[in-house]
Amino acid sequence: MTHELALFLVLLKDSALALGGLGSLPLIRQDLVATGIATDAQVVQALAIGRLSTGPNGLWIVSLGYQIGGWSGAAIAVLATSLPPLVMVPATAAGRRFLLTPAFAGIVRGATLATAGLLASTGTSLIAQGGVTTAWWQLAIGAVAIALTYQGRIHPGVVVVGGALIGMLLGR
Amino acid sequence: MRELVRAWIAIGTQSVGGGTSTLLLIRRYIVERHGWLSHREFTEAWALSQLSPGIHLVALAGMIGQRIAGWRGVIASVAGMMVPAAFVTAAMTAAYGLIANEPLARAALSGMAPATGGMTLALALIMARDARRHGPAVIVDALVVIIAFAILTFASGSSVLVIAVAALLGAFALRRERPESGRAEE
Repeated sequence: MTHELALFLVLLKDSALALGGLGSLPLIRQDLVATGIATDAQVVQALAIGRLSTGPNGLWIVSLGYQIGGWSGAAIAVLATSLPPLVMVPATAAGRRFLLTPAFAGIVRGATLATAGLLASTGTSLIAQGGVTTAWWQLAIGAVAIALTYQGRIHPGVVVVGGALIGMLLGR
Repeated sequence: MRELVRAWIAIGTQSVGGGTSTLLLIRRYIVERHGWLSHREFTEAWALSQLSPGIHLVALAGMIGQRIAGWRGVIASVAGMMVPAAFVTAAMTAAYGLIANEPLARAALSGMAPATGGMTLALALIMARDARRHGPAVIVDALVVIIAFAILTFASGSSVLVIAVAALLGAFALRRERPESGRAEE
């Protein structure tokens, strides 16, 4: 199997099994970082650029695709992330009633709650990436980012740029 | 059709940071400016898009495109929103790649990592808050979140398996909302 096809299949699977643009983060990290195809630094860059760039924030996967495979990696990522959500087009036409049943609501609730737990774990490990050497100011950035994002009043790009500026001041 | 593509390109390239800013632009172009969908149709499409796998806004673009111009509308809408925005994203990544190994960029990354980590944690809290049920059922819902967290943190278990088992469990055990809570099913 070519690298391109393998990357496409991984991103397609992870997008198809996740809810939301960032929901696939724990899955992609497990498939690409744990296997040495990408690094956590690349994931962080992708997440930051995804927040600063235009379009849906799920485009962080395109940034990661570019870092792994250049322009063809980016194109693969666009295709792999665009296909799974489109299942909703025939699904809403044919099975709208099923989508509104309590059983389906339960499926979505279960997947969403599990994704929340997985994202919490991923977020924690991104904050404490340095392990025991994680600096106090990095923990403070993490705490402030949680509060500001949860409140939702400040643009996510501001949080990313703020973190970068503090890093430039204190992380050298 | 040309107008439809133009509207989606504008949505994809003018919204920064995704999420709400993209959603607001979709509403402005599709409902308010062009009147392709009514407010009610848009709200329903948005609610259904929240059930989709992957990027919800792609599902929303696809459903809106389908209503306006069939399958050609789906392709025009999704490609219009995604391709130019993806080009911008890849170009930004390429530009950042030129300076990524500079000491200052490395220092910036040491601040961006906890910032993106914190944002990810906040998103987890928001997802859990919005999906949880009210009343005693909230304990079961919280347990699902905590167990998923623990499996990935302490056992490095398979994320896919965790989601699949939770979805299956959800079909049977997480479906009921307390009737007296009056909260609409999501």
